[in-house]
Amino acid sequence: MAKKPKIKDLLVESACSHSAAKKSACNTQTPGATTGGCAFEGAQIALFPYADAAHLVHGPITCLGASWETRATPTSHRGHDFTQMGFTTAISTNDVVFGGEEKLRAAIDYIIENYAPQAVFVYATCVTALIGDDIDAVCRQAQSTYGIPMIPVHAPGFVGSKNLGSRLGGEAVLAALVGTKEPEVRTPYDINLIGEYNVTGDMWQYTPLLEELGIRVLATLSGDGRIADIRAAHRARLNVIVCAKSLISLTRKMQEQYGIPFISLSFYGKRDTSSGLLAIADALGDEDLRERTRTLVAREEAWLEEKLAPYRRLFEGKKAILNTGGNKSWSIASALQDLGIEVVATSVRKATEDDKEKARQYLGESGVLMTNPGTEQAKIIDQTGAHLLLAGGRSLYTAIKKRIAFIDVNQEKKKSYGGYQGLLNLAEDIKNALENPVFNIVARRAPWEK
Amino acid sequence: MGEVSRKPGKPLQVNPIKLSQPMGAALAFLGVNQCMPLMHGALGCASFTKVFLTRHFSEPIAIQTTAVTDITAILDGGDYNIVESVKNITAKVAPKLIGLHTTGLTETKGDDIRGVAAKIDFPLVHVNTPDYEGGLESGWALATRALIRQLVRPTDQVQPDKLVLLPHVGLQPIEVEKIKEFIALFGFEALALPDLSTSLDGHLGHKQGALSGGGIEVDDIENLADAALVISIGASMRDCAQALREKNPAMSVHHFDHLHGLEVSDALVELLMQKMPATEIHPGVKRWRMRLQDAMLDCHFALGQTRFAVVGEPDQVAGLCQALTEAGGRVTLALTTVDAPQLAPIKATRVLVGDLEDAERLHEDYDLIIGNFHCEALALRYHKGLVLRGFPNWEQVGNQLKNDLLYEGGAYFLCEVANAADHQRRHEAKG
Ligand code: SF4
Repeated sequence: MAKKPKIKDLLVESACSHSAAKKSACNTQTPGATTGGCAFEGAQIALFPYADAAHLVHGPITCLGASWETRATPTSHRGHDFTQMGFTTAISTNDVVFGGEEKLRAAIDYIIENYAPQAVFVYATCVTALIGDDIDAVCRQAQSTYGIPMIPVHAPGFVGSKNLGSRLGGEAVLAALVGTKEPEVRTPYDINLIGEYNVTGDMWQYTPLLEELGIRVLATLSGDGRIADIRAAHRARLNVIVCAKSLISLTRKMQEQYGIPFISLSFYGKRDTSSGLLAIADALGDEDLRERTRTLVAREEAWLEEKLAPYRRLFEGKKAILNTGGNKSWSIASALQDLGIEVVATSVRKATEDDKEKARQYLGESGVLMTNPGTEQAKIIDQTGAHLLLAGGRSLYTAIKKRIAFIDVNQEKKKSYGGYQGLLNLAEDIKNALENPVFNIVARRAPWEK
Repeated sequence: MGEVSRKPGKPLQVNPIKLSQPMGAALAFLGVNQCMPLMHGALGCASFTKVFLTRHFSEPIAIQTTAVTDITAILDGGDYNIVESVKNITAKVAPKLIGLHTTGLTETKGDDIRGVAAKIDFPLVHVNTPDYEGGLESGWALATRALIRQLVRPTDQVQPDKLVLLPHVGLQPIEVEKIKEFIALFGFEALALPDLSTSLDGHLGHKQGALSGGGIEVDDIENLADAALVISIGASMRDCAQALREKNPAMSVHHFDHLHGLEVSDALVELLMQKMPATEIHPGVKRWRMRLQDAMLDCHFALGQTRFAVVGEPDQVAGLCQALTEAGGRVTLALTTVDAPQLAPIKATRVLVGDLEDAERLHEDYDLIIGNFHCEALALRYHKGLVLRGFPNWEQVGNQLKNDLLYEGGAYFLCEVANAADHQRRHEAKG
């Protein structure tokens, strides 16, 4: 059963390239001047895609009431899709005064009886952590009663940011699940996908290609994942971190404990998808596999190029500004470049040092890394004559004022931009935005303003 | 009126429809012009609320958090985080008011926000809104009452044509606007508190401010007490009307549980006629009344053969059930987020405080669901008709433009529901 992870250790992650620097970007919070989700949200994001496990949020209604059914993380699991369900103890004043453990126990009983999940994740939240409910003890007891994993997740909101919460979620899985079961069969090409949550089915854009190459996804954390698989994840040959930096400590620990090497990559855009596939083949170290991968990549790229040709003509000479957060600040930039669009600026306001390095690499010396995009982007549009702004809803007004096309990349997205096929989806969306007259017409002056 | 079950028979909520008090309070503060809601708690609560409301209204939402961390959670009484927050907020933007409210975490800690507020030299309204009590509706009402108690200046004078409207949280921005316009036709100048009708109504502003743009002015709140007439809408808002009356006993206070349907719309008109006897009834009012009568008859056939489940906050459910019932619809299940006194008179066979798992269990009892976006999965699973109402609605655009109230909105509402019911029947018949 899990011991409470040491938060200090997680904040100073040796595998992060910026940890040598004094100040960590992972846990700064200024009262009255801070945005972003709490640790609980991060843990939830990391673990919710396990659709065969029930996710029980132990706290008042706030934590789950406003957050269930918010993310499109499809699953191929055929039973109840617990990702799209909300379970919470919804504690009341009485529980705050007398403790919520009894209610938690009863809630677990109820879930097992009515829904028969493969496991139950129990999330501590601010109030239940503060009143000192012993969720470890409750989980231990329930696990021995029911014989299925009960995983306490210690990521109450007040311990820190969303990013830290994702790490804590990873820790909980490592402590309670990984290595508790043996896989039925093993192949030399078994990998784990870590930090891929299959949002809008991103993962399914490239897993068929892996399959075609004979690479088997043994387990995922946690997109379209299964509890039984992650329990056997310690037998993989390779851990592949997809975009999310937050789970790097988990993979480092799996390397230490089980000798599994890891690589980190992204499946956004043509270049990244191709080099990602090749990197996996390289890491698995099989010449024949490498050769097959090269052939497959060549085939896919040729197919994609043919499909992209009409878009390329349309996008020629177009410039874009990207204002989004985290790994998107470079992964979408690279995808845009693959479409022949020049990315003149990207935001690094909330990016980690790693993300900044990557963004610089993709944009080159002339690209602007915006630290205060709210005020910078309008100026950059003027200076560069950019045609397209990809940003969150707040920036819509900038686009309208400047009469350029706009794509919202922050609203919970509905369409996948991952893999080769996803790049086509992105191209189509950009084409529609560029051709849409709305940005121009809506900015017209009213008759009484003329 | 049917059987009311108030106590949940289970130790958890499965697929909850309930929303929190802090969220309700934040939303109320967004109905005040240039007000910054400041949620005193760890950062997640404010972040969830911001994302939730942004997606619902398709508008940027101004909200800040005191960002309590594990260290301050244990050691501090809230002073540091609140004082720092005010400093940081005012360094960047210039709000006219800060709306400070608590969460479960800071209530459990026992922070004395009133004491801290007294030390802060900036216009600020404070309110306790633990999220382990009440819900969206009570959070909104508590914040409104705090605005009244802490800002409104007492007086004993009244202006005969000034009217204060106290709408419950379930009213869409456009609905508040429509009530104000309706009342204006009778010669009153109506002010709403809070007023989302000018802040989150889906209009395109000229620039993107960091604060709420629109809503009632702080000055206007200070001067509310000289209104001759106060109308509270929704049982959750009764206390607010009382709080206002304490500022001026000469006010005439009136209450409506909702403004849905013909009967209650008539009652409002009667009240306004009585208070402003000289006014002619505007021809538009007469025409819309006839249109509603017509719509009720046009819709009664479709509605009469449909069994409804209505899901949402108590005040809203009370109103929707009334509107449906008047045109022959049978509400077989009214499902509300929290317990409230207004549940007993709701016109439904069964009234339940519960969650969507309860609605799922009873799926054989109804044909069409009226409720928030979480009802969609349920409707799809059991082939039910669906009309989306309430928080949240992330699937459809334009929910800020939906008006279900009074004669005009009532007519639109019945037609929309009747069409949805017929559509469902046709669809089902084809298999
Ligand atoms: S900050 Fe705490 S109470 Fe708020 S949502 Fe996060 S875990 Fe829940």
